Amino acid sequence: MSIPTDLVNRYPWLPSLKHLYSDIADKRPSEFISDIFSKSDSKQISEHILIIFESAFNNLEDIPNLKDENLSIQVYILLNILVYTLDNKLITNRIANLYSKDAYSKMKQDNSESALYDICIDLELRVNFYNTPIRYGNKMLKDIREKQVTNFTIYYIDYLKLASNLRDEYRKLAHNPLQNGYVYIQNRNLMRLIQEYVRNKILIEETEDKASLKSFLEEVLKIQEFKELYEKINSIWAKRKEDFDFTFKIDITGKADILKLYPPCVKEILKKAGEGQNLVHHERLFIVWFLLALDYPVEKVVDVFSTLPDFDREKTNYQVEYAKKKKYTPYQCSTLQSISLCMKEKYKDTLCLEGYGSSEPSERKKLKHPLAYVRIKQYRDGKEEEYLKYKAKRELEESQKQNG
Amino acid sequence: MVEYTYLKRLFQAYYQEKQFDLLKVSSFNLREFGLIPWEKKVFMKRHLSFDNLDNLRYYLIKDAPRHLYSSGSLYLKPDAQDMNNKEYQGCDFIIDIDVDHFYTPCKDQHDLWTCKDCGDEGTGMPKICPKCKGSKFTKVSWVCDQCLDAAKNEITKLVSNYLSPDFGIEEKDMKIAFSGHRGYHLKIESEELRKLTSEERREIVDYLTGENINFEILGLNERSNIIYGLLVENTGWSQKIMDKVIEVLKQPKNIVKNMLLDENLFGFTPFYVRSFLNYKDDFLELITKGERNVWAIEGFGLTNWKKLLRGIVKQIGVELDEPVSIDIHRLIRYPGSLHGKTGFKVQEIELNELDDFNPLDESNEKLDPIVFKSKKKLTQKLEIVENKLPITKIKGESFGPYVKGEKIEVPHHIAVFLLCKEVAKTI
Repeated sequence: MSIPTDLVNRYPWLPSLKHLYSDIADKRPSEFISDIFSKSDSKQISEHILIIFESAFNNLEDIPNLKDENLSIQVYILLNILVYTLDNKLITNRIANLYSKDAYSKMKQDNSESALYDICIDLELRVNFYNTPIRYGNKMLKDIREKQVTNFTIYYIDYLKLASNLRDEYRKLAHNPLQNGYVYIQNRNLMRLIQEYVRNKILIEETEDKASLKSFLEEVLKIQEFKELYEKINSIWAKRKEDFDFTFKIDITGKADILKLYPPCVKEILKKAGEGQNLVHHERLFIVWFLLALDYPVEKVVDVFSTLPDFDREKTNYQVEYAKKKKYTPYQCSTLQSISLCMKEKYKDTLCLEGYGSSEPSERKKLKHPLAYVRIKQYRDGKEEEYLKYKAKRELEESQKQNG
Repeated sequence: MVEYTYLKRLFQAYYQEKQFDLLKVSSFNLREFGLIPWEKKVFMKRHLSFDNLDNLRYYLIKDAPRHLYSSGSLYLKPDAQDMNNKEYQGCDFIIDIDVDHFYTPCKDQHDLWTCKDCGDEGTGMPKICPKCKGSKFTKVSWVCDQCLDAAKNEITKLVSNYLSPDFGIEEKDMKIAFSGHRGYHLKIESEELRKLTSEERREIVDYLTGENINFEILGLNERSNIIYGLLVENTGWSQKIMDKVIEVLKQPKNIVKNMLLDENLFGFTPFYVRSFLNYKDDFLELITKGERNVWAIEGFGLTNWKKLLRGIVKQIGVELDEPVSIDIHRLIRYPGSLHGKTGFKVQEIELNELDDFNPLDESNEKLDPIVFKSKKKLTQKLEIVENKLPITKIKGESFGPYVKGEKIEVPHHIAVFLLCKEVAKTI
């Protein structure tokens, strides 16, 4: 099925971009960049790119409209090249969050079921479209019955691929109507899933191959206009990066490797925060309650959130203070599992997976709370230290004996 | 040790005789194999692979391990020692239903435990010792028609209430097998499901079990001290729950009373049960009419309503062993192999054969997991080495109960079962 060209212009992250604009797709990135800067509208593109970066650094939710929407494709490709060359997780996450939110706003603003259907088809999502919305239930409060209707159902595997990463209770499969392999999904929720697709698409532009990146950067920086744009973004970032510095280096026991004591669920959240990735509601609550339970100072807890795209120090401070006053207990392991925040499988953590208390597997106790993890790790560390001291003492005594 | 050598020889003879009955699982040479030998000192050998079925047959005849497993996952290098080097290609979706993991009333008769701390003994599946509160037990778990029926019901529920109507999974993609002990496996072989991550698999598991359902999201909420409940007309879990609530409410009062008091179902105190029963019929009328969803029963706040709904979910959700479905590197018993704790065959069955399938007394020879039944009615003499043994009923005949030191003469298949269970020795 062919997709309307104007839809690709509006949503340049659609896979059809490659086919409709194969002339661009076939070009080498440096060739493409040279082409952009050789045209009269290059100034508008550069200005818009800068606006996107500044908006991202300023926690804005939308990107101001481009004067000429026909340039959106060039902007999108150049944006991806810049994200790749800047090679900074914090920046990448901020751009991915902002650009995907903007994509959602545009879809919402367009409010077109047919466009949404075309987008889904282009993304190879298996959806059913119903011209006349179908009913899948009711909402009822105080005797007022509101029909639940939608134009779309989506195949559960496609749904899971997009939704499971969101870790949002409302998007849990069990909380959504599912029939014959298809999930009933409201238009705006479908848009939200597509937003996640866009976000991931920008995120995967990152590379582990630093050598290729270096040689690519050397090549593209030869283009003067690109170099200027690249340096401008870097200089804005240099001024702003202090605001996002991830200052989470708290030492409550005097040991430098305190992270070693944390369970994988905590490590994962701290890692995500450190990279500037957005944290879902439960992740935010859990990390605050967990760190407060370990007596971390409020300002240090607030610092954990300083890298997040929507960080507001004042608001965060108020919320952390409130949580401290309320003395909430962090989620236990079973709750973390239920809200998909348990990371024992991902980190293959032996304490979480195998339990503790005995070398005999059948006699081990299951870990039930992440705070217990810290306690056991501290205990084991203490034991290890004790053993090392003992071993060193024995070795010294042995050598003294041997020396007469 | 003598028993192990004997059982190993029996298994070898079985594999020799029935080698051509052993079937090839799909993508055979991409699967990792694992086995547990009879020698006690060796736990499990993993990271094995076989190029073809003949090699596996040859291996079984030669070595006849106590247990044989193959992976749900497919790998380009299934025999690589390091999981990271196996080149993972995807994993079937596996559902393991094992009565070890859920309560059945028959366990109060045939599952025996001894507390490791105080030596107290009893039956059933306690979490802690009633005498000393210790949590370490030695257990003797048994099988009977009743618990195997409970496991079979879970498979039926899984297919007809979830996999077919909700997920639209076709019968041809589902492979069911009796595990050879206390349960069943269901494997879904579909290219698409193979690509799911552990996190995505957890979502499906949560859907099948209903374990982490948030009732507020389904519609239960409290506003100005009024409780608003779920609606029966809402597709999905809300409907499943409400259908079951109606089914429960339609039961006679004394049955509902017992259910509500039952610790394994709802666990309400008599006060709340009385209150609930007073309003039972009105509540049933209210929810079946569906005009209003204000749930008002004296003494029932949000906490009690959630407790009631949790009890309902417990009855309609599938009792499956969650880690098996979520972990993509698990091994499961190879169909057609023998289970070393019973001597029973891991028997594949078609969905349409499931209803009539009776693992402990199967009339269809092709499906019969009791492979050591002697046509010549051979018997064997054994001495019981376990303190107490419950009744064993296989092929319609009951044996036992027995106590330690007792000398018995039983049919061959019962002897194999008791020897595999390590509760008897040959004399």
